[in-house]
Amino acid sequence: MWGIALKATWKQNFHMMGRYLFNTLSSFVTMYIVFALLFYGTKSIGAATLNLGDTLEGVFTGYVTWMLAIMGCTDLAYTITNEAQSGTLEQLCLSPLGYWQILLFNQSFHLLTNVLVIGLITVSMSLTTGLVIHLDFVSVVPVVLALYLQSLGLGLVLAGLALIYKRIQAFFQVVQFALIGIFFIPLDAFPGARYLPLAEGRKVLQQVLVGGIRIWQARWTDLGPMFGATALYISVGVACFTMAENRARSRGLLGQY
Amino acid sequence: MDAVKDISFSVDEGEMVALLGPNGAGKTTIIKCILGLVRPDSGEIMVDGVDCRRCRSPALRRMAAVLEGARNTYWRLTTWENISYFAGIHGISERRGKEYFEYLIDLLKLRKERDIEVRNLSSGFKQRVAVACALAKKTPLVFLDEPTLGLDVESSYELRQALKKLRAEERRTIIISSHDMHAVQDTCQRAIIVSHGQIVADQTIPDLLSLFATRKYRITVTGGSGREVGLSGIQEAVALAFSQVSFRQVGEALEFTVSLANPGDIYLLVDVLRDREAVVDAITREEVDLEKAFLEIVGRTSSTCGA
Repeated sequence: MWGIALKATWKQNFHMMGRYLFNTLSSFVTMYIVFALLFYGTKSIGAATLNLGDTLEGVFTGYVTWMLAIMGCTDLAYTITNEAQSGTLEQLCLSPLGYWQILLFNQSFHLLTNVLVIGLITVSMSLTTGLVIHLDFVSVVPVVLALYLQSLGLGLVLAGLALIYKRIQAFFQVVQFALIGIFFIPLDAFPGARYLPLAEGRKVLQQVLVGGIRIWQARWTDLGPMFGATALYISVGVACFTMAENRARSRGLLGQY
Repeated sequence: MDAVKDISFSVDEGEMVALLGPNGAGKTTIIKCILGLVRPDSGEIMVDGVDCRRCRSPALRRMAAVLEGARNTYWRLTTWENISYFAGIHGISERRGKEYFEYLIDLLKLRKERDIEVRNLSSGFKQRVAVACALAKKTPLVFLDEPTLGLDVESSYELRQALKKLRAEERRTIIISSHDMHAVQDTCQRAIIVSHGQIVADQTIPDLLSLFATRKYRITVTGGSGREVGLSGIQEAVALAFSQVSFRQVGEALEFTVSLANPGDIYLLVDVLRDREAVVDAITREEVDLEKAFLEIVGRTSSTCGA
């Protein structure tokens, strides 16, 4: 049943991308411009906040990580707001799989298309500029994925709030500022902050990109909290979302906008 | 304040039941409670032997619904894409359901609209697409909240025909919440009337109608000789013989409606008219329809609650 629902959701998203073609193309063009700037030497886009060094690889990975983190955090809630507005939210809640799974299927499509587009843009940039990104994918991908999943956990919490309050876009900005703050926290000075979302992952990513270590060379005292935080934030996200869904059902809020 | 309270009813497999009630009576709340979209404070809801409150997922495999009509679909997707998607998230793949989806498309007369985006369809077709999406899940229980709302006569008729055919062929249980008494009387076997969050009537439609059936006749007469005097004389005589009577002058004729307390009173009426040499132009027995029965029941409840 999961496979069928996943396929149906991806197909639906694909059709929607085509139907809202202008919006889809605009987002791809924006992405293209940003990556062009990255390749042509502008190193202050987003990545600086992650402090991952000033190499092309560092700037590139920093931006992608930041983009995925923000996407993971806000996309789910945006989806809920849109569904509630259009009147389809209750129908999705009638899926025997549970709404949060449908949401995650949606999210997986967004993640996949973004990664695909980033990949295509990166290849085309490399071909046109002659600059090649030398990334240790084996080390970078698990860390970026862990960071993404942590932000997805936060995203589920926000999605839960969206189920109850519907419009929470203004709160997104607060969350984005909070995330920037977390990225800046020096973990050596504030060791307790390593359990905050994204914090420890950013440190490991820094070790991989700036320090040049492979992931298996990283200390378990760094990897442990990173993967632990990933599991924790996803679990907390699912729990909060389920609680919010129950609350919304108790108050009869699912059909309201 | 309780939206619904002490509600209890059961519906048999293959039954088509109407949930009736004035605005705010609690019809949609009842449906949403069964579907698990609204959580009741207490009570038990069983669908096909499954406890809806404890086993939500298995219960949802047995239910589908149209809750907000055309708004329940994606307007940027085509009819087919909508059907395929909503069936898909219910676990029915396009490959497995294709034949049935096509059947529904034909049943609901959506063949020409199959590959058109829903936003480009008329409200009647949008409504049909929403119904098709709910039916495509092939669940034994289907809820249709106001399925004929905003439909023109033709669309409403076609939808009703489709639902009747579906019930006959598939023995699906369909619960319709509606204000369209004509549609309900045409399609449903039973009506549950809700008022102020409580069930005030739960009977088959024929039983409900017979409850309010009266011996009410509408008679049009013209006088014999000297018409003006004749008509007033007739009116006087009828008013004297029967207490529940109302008169209306229609051109040169007199039309009156009379409720007879006993079956034999019809002979008394005929005698009165014969004595006054009235010429009977027309005599019809007034039929009670569901709307009248509904208004009567809800009216009674409102006055009871108001008192």
